Amino acid sequence: MRVYFLKRLIEIVPTVLMITLVVFVMMRSIPGDPVVALLGDAYTQEDAIKVRQEYGLDKPILWQYFIWLGKLAQGDWGASILTGRPVLQDVLIRLPVTLELIVLSMAVALAIAIPAAIIGAVRRNTWADYTATTVAMVGVSIPEFFIGVLLLLAFSIGMSGLLPSSGWVYLPGTCPSVVCAAGLFGNAQHVLMPAFALGVGRAALLTRLLRASMLEVIRTEYVTTARAKGLAERPIVFKHALKNALIPTVTVMGLQVGFLIGGAIVIETLFAMPGLGTFGIDAIIARDYQQVQGFALITAIAFVVINLVVDLTYTFLDPRIRYTG
Amino acid sequence: MTERDPRVTATTRPTIRGGSTREVDLPAAVTWRPQEAAPSESPFMQGVRRLRKSATALVGLGIVVLLVVVAIFADVLAPYNPTVNDQTATFLRPTWEHPLGTDQLGRDMLSRIIHGTRISLLVGVSSVLLALFVGVPFGMIAGYYGGRIDRGIMRAMDLILAFPIYLLAIILMVIFTPTAGLIGTMKVTGAIAIVRIPIYARLVRGSVLSIKEKEYVEACRALGVRDPAILFRHVLPNCLAPIIVTTTLGIATSIIVEATLSFLGLGTQPPTPSWGWDLKANVAFIQANAWLSLFPGLAIFVTVLGFNLFGDGLRDALDPRLK
Repeated sequence: MRVYFLKRLIEIVPTVLMITLVVFVMMRSIPGDPVVALLGDAYTQEDAIKVRQEYGLDKPILWQYFIWLGKLAQGDWGASILTGRPVLQDVLIRLPVTLELIVLSMAVALAIAIPAAIIGAVRRNTWADYTATTVAMVGVSIPEFFIGVLLLLAFSIGMSGLLPSSGWVYLPGTCPSVVCAAGLFGNAQHVLMPAFALGVGRAALLTRLLRASMLEVIRTEYVTTARAKGLAERPIVFKHALKNALIPTVTVMGLQVGFLIGGAIVIETLFAMPGLGTFGIDAIIARDYQQVQGFALITAIAFVVINLVVDLTYTFLDPRIRYTG
Repeated sequence: MTERDPRVTATTRPTIRGGSTREVDLPAAVTWRPQEAAPSESPFMQGVRRLRKSATALVGLGIVVLLVVVAIFADVLAPYNPTVNDQTATFLRPTWEHPLGTDQLGRDMLSRIIHGTRISLLVGVSSVLLALFVGVPFGMIAGYYGGRIDRGIMRAMDLILAFPIYLLAIILMVIFTPTAGLIGTMKVTGAIAIVRIPIYARLVRGSVLSIKEKEYVEACRALGVRDPAILFRHVLPNCLAPIIVTTTLGIATSIIVEATLSFLGLGTQPPTPSWGWDLKANVAFIQANAWLSLFPGLAIFVTVLGFNLFGDGLRDALDPRLK
């Protein structure tokens, strides 16, 4: 197990390198560069060449990538070409915002999906099941940002502005400067709608998957055996059925991470949150190479680590699955 | 099981020509069939019959057909030109003249929604078809030949899959530089197709891996049938069911991805009407004109729901094991 874990940890490195390399090459293959944006309209060719030299943009692309890697190995993520701010600093400020959003949205998703799926599977073909499956079908068909808009309409525009429509109040301890707002209550107010908007879609997907695999598990012989032994329905559902039904669900959750990152970008844009999503999309559109690299790096790491966590969850859910080096 | 799954029937029946189970392929002497199977009904017809029984699938199909009609006849159906501004009629509330009101440039919202159907369906369907036409052959070749070819193709596919899909789609759109009109739509189509190719390659490779070990494929080889003929006439038809289902559901996903890219300002550019863009543009005015951002969102929702319902019904009808 430990050998397997180490092996997987080592495998993370080439994947992350590959993602960052592809992003690096792709970003630099776009015509034009940030130097033009930096210098404004009135600039001479000499100025541009000088600035390009300054940032090392005149060197071959692969060579530039190795320079970036070399600095990265020393803990230097580079600095934004347009603002001059260190990329690592920006990423660290924005990471907690996005992490909070994603973790809470997953919590929302699980809190809705597990009960809904259990009811749907245990009381199959009753009105409760039909309600759960219909709501789930509607849920998978609504894009996150439309759920966000509906929430805005209900709680920000309606209800005399119960919840704020944009902006952010930091969690105590994550505030990047002395002037920013921080506080638990304010944070909860700001994160509630985004987390729901992002979580509801996942919840719908999860409900459908989990219900289907619950139905399959309930039909298996060991569940019949458990019933024959006189075991109560509750431990059968939770210990035997749910745990085994979670395995395929967890796999799909892992595959959904790519969508979750997109969802975070969209939801952060809609609610004007200072998270990694807005950081990334702004950087990509402004072609701020260093910031884009920082964003690609943190996204790649998150993506790979979550997939690793998914694989390790299997051993918890099903002790028969053992990884050997 | 035998009755419900066309692929199982194909192997339990005596097969003369490859995996075909059509009646005409069987000489009179060997018209033996499993007792449970409905006589003289092809697996395709069985699927159609099951599909017709499913109310949700029919509702889905109805929505899809309606949307296709709206998209084709958008010019006739739309009461106004969706791209002509009218500064004297901005932010009109819904009236008989403008059933869904007008936006900040005085454009009729209903007409924009109707024309937006085109972009949404065009990108949704064509990106999936494009991904299909690239992904399926790759998957077939990888699965059928195995070895070094398989490893090479699948490594390239894994490279794409290693990316969070939105990160890749967003960067591709920045590289393509979003524009308006048909060219702009084609760029979005291309970007979405690229990120979806591996899905089909993987799916088909998996099916081919099991089908190529079947006896009827072996029989074909023994008879000297060439590889392309085996692949297209015997292997491909037998992995069609999951492909069809994934394609229908994939259209729903592609439409959401298109709307999302549009929402981020990276889809088809204005003045071409696009639901995602309209939603985003009107969120700025949500305080006073809530209805404006409501309609494009509803349009996306109904479209995606239609394809999802139909896809779900197809899955139940074609491949019960995929449930």
